[in-house]
Amino acid sequence: MAEREPAYTVASDSETTGEEKSSPLPEIAIGIDIGTSQCSVAVWNGSEVELLKNKRNQKLMKSFVTFKDEAPSGGVTSQFSHEHEMLFGDTIFNMKRLIGRVDTDPVVHASKNLPFLVQTLDIGVRPFIAALVNNVWRSTTPEEVLAMFLVELRLMTETHLKRPIRNVVLTVPVSFSRFQLTRLERACAMAGLHVLRLMPEPTAVALLYGQQQQKASQETMGSGSEKIALIFNMGAGYCDVAVTATAGGVSQIKALAGSTIGGEDLLQNMMRHLLPDSENIFKRHGVEEIKSMALLRVATQDAIHQLSTQSSVQVDVDLGNSLKICKVVDRAEFEEVNKEVFEKCESLIIQCLHDAKVEVGDINDNLVTNLCKITEVYKGINPLEGAVCGAAMEGAVASGISDPFGNLDLLTIQATPLAIGIRADGNKFVPVIPRNTTMPARKDLLFTTIHDNQTEALILVYEGEGKKAEENHLLGYFKIMGIPAAPKGVPEISVCMDIDAANVLRVLTGVVMPGSRITVVPVMEVRMPMVDDGHGWCAEALNRTHGATMDLVTLKKA
Amino acid sequence: MTATLSLAGISVVRPLRFSDDCSTSARFIAKPSSNISNRRRISIRAVTAAVETRRPATSLYEVLRLNPGASAMEIKSAYRSLAKVYHPDAAARRLQECNDGDFIEIRNAYETLSDPSSRQIYDLSLMVHGGRNRRFTAAPVMQKRNSGFYTNRRWETDQCW
Repeated sequence: MAEREPAYTVASDSETTGEEKSSPLPEIAIGIDIGTSQCSVAVWNGSEVELLKNKRNQKLMKSFVTFKDEAPSGGVTSQFSHEHEMLFGDTIFNMKRLIGRVDTDPVVHASKNLPFLVQTLDIGVRPFIAALVNNVWRSTTPEEVLAMFLVELRLMTETHLKRPIRNVVLTVPVSFSRFQLTRLERACAMAGLHVLRLMPEPTAVALLYGQQQQKASQETMGSGSEKIALIFNMGAGYCDVAVTATAGGVSQIKALAGSTIGGEDLLQNMMRHLLPDSENIFKRHGVEEIKSMALLRVATQDAIHQLSTQSSVQVDVDLGNSLKICKVVDRAEFEEVNKEVFEKCESLIIQCLHDAKVEVGDINDNLVTNLCKITEVYKGINPLEGAVCGAAMEGAVASGISDPFGNLDLLTIQATPLAIGIRADGNKFVPVIPRNTTMPARKDLLFTTIHDNQTEALILVYEGEGKKAEENHLLGYFKIMGIPAAPKGVPEISVCMDIDAANVLRVLTGVVMPGSRITVVPVMEVRMPMVDDGHGWCAEALNRTHGATMDLVTLKKA
Repeated sequence: MTATLSLAGISVVRPLRFSDDCSTSARFIAKPSSNISNRRRISIRAVTAAVETRRPATSLYEVLRLNPGASAMEIKSAYRSLAKVYHPDAAARRLQECNDGDFIEIRNAYETLSDPSSRQIYDLSLMVHGGRNRRFTAAPVMQKRNSGFYTNRRWETDQCW
């Protein structure tokens, strides 16, 4: 393939798949669900989706990497139980909670309770993460840890399928920013994997649901009328909701909602309930504290598991250093300390239904994956396997595989989980592409200058749901120069945003003077995100240096 | 389309118009950001161009291949069946050469016609302007985006490492 391309050309994937058609079999991308706590791999085997097992016959593998001496080992191969590993500070987990976050993020701060080192300087740079190996804190990054884990997954899959693996479809939380997505892609690249698609977790479930509905309607020769499903997924790290409308194998994602809440929050709230002063007690982060923290964590985890079947549980744990916990907790207490988490789940579902303009009565099926309690639940999908199976199916679809029985005649029409816009009208976030816009999408908005003879404008691109600019994720920034001198409000600055089917975002800007149709400066086309790790303080630094001299306001036309 | 094609292999100038819903009528000429084109690609494009005989649609109903009296059900199923052909994910399997311009056009038509009140306004404007209302006329087919980017970027080009 390479010899036909000029050396400097970076091949796009459609070309790659096109060329690979000449080989006897196109490579089928595998589906990977990297959960905060568990991970699974599935692949389309030619007739159905198959979940792969590791050597210990597990379909679900714990997501962690232990740094022992020179050879780190992850949850795919590691012999010990996750719980036992955790005691010595040399095991890093919850990578998905930490990846792509800056050290001012509350989620990073909450991660300081984990039994390894998470250090923050609170200035908007990446946090310092380290594992204790032979009494040395060895620094690492969430990307690196994830990459190590992915290498194990890749090797496992390659052994199983007896072919090299390159392309993957990954499921991601709805609430991930585009910056976080680039970090995930980087982790994959470090592991020698190429990301064919990143799918929000509930949309992968939607794809599987769409396939099952299509199959069912074929079998019954039914009309295949539209079915509306609410998909709710709560894992250890993230909670995701989607509303999908499915008919004839086409799933239209009507709305998405997600948040960084999950089992980890339930666990931490419970730990705080059992040992209210834990943060202070473990502040020193020495070897002893790590062990105590891990013991508390394990005991709390067990207690929560037991509470799902019994109404109360006795917690009895010796944390060392004459610190003992002897407490009975019941389900009501558990629900009380986690009230906020459950309320947040509820509000996500309400928001999602509202965005999808769907009433509860319109819903044909409720799909609930992972932990939750809801009355009527669709039984066709294994809650823990739905996302990875959907991803595997998308892997086959996106690899251009066709199935003689029409099992892969599927399409998921995705929607944007977060709004994308720029800073304007003072310090406001003005969305150009609102949340839940069908992808691919292309939209534009007009802005104008706020000063007379303003010749430059700063475009700060954000993604998120916050009203104020700084409440959102900064994706990038650039300057439009050469705006003709004119009274304020006269030049028309058009900001166009374009998201293609593979979710690549481009921002285009042009300047037009009234009465003209031609842009006075060359159009700028910027691929986002363009920020790097220090992005937490970028906006602030820009603000300090330039103030409002290059600001814009939305242009209101009669 | 023909103007695009006449350019020899290096950089395809793509006329890109900022979407219609905004009141601006400005047109910008933007170049694709990376020169992914090569001779093979161009020849494929020429083939599809020859096959493509669709003229610019004059009404949203035409975009969805429907009669102006179509029912809500018909609109929905027309959207779905067209999505299966023109959505870049689906098109990639059939045509190699796909672009999201077509799908966005179909989507915009569907969005207007599936909402009863916006459909009413549109129908009214059709009557007044005899189907020539600029604001609602879907973007002509030639304003396609250069394709080839529609798959995910390669990590090698990731600016944000």
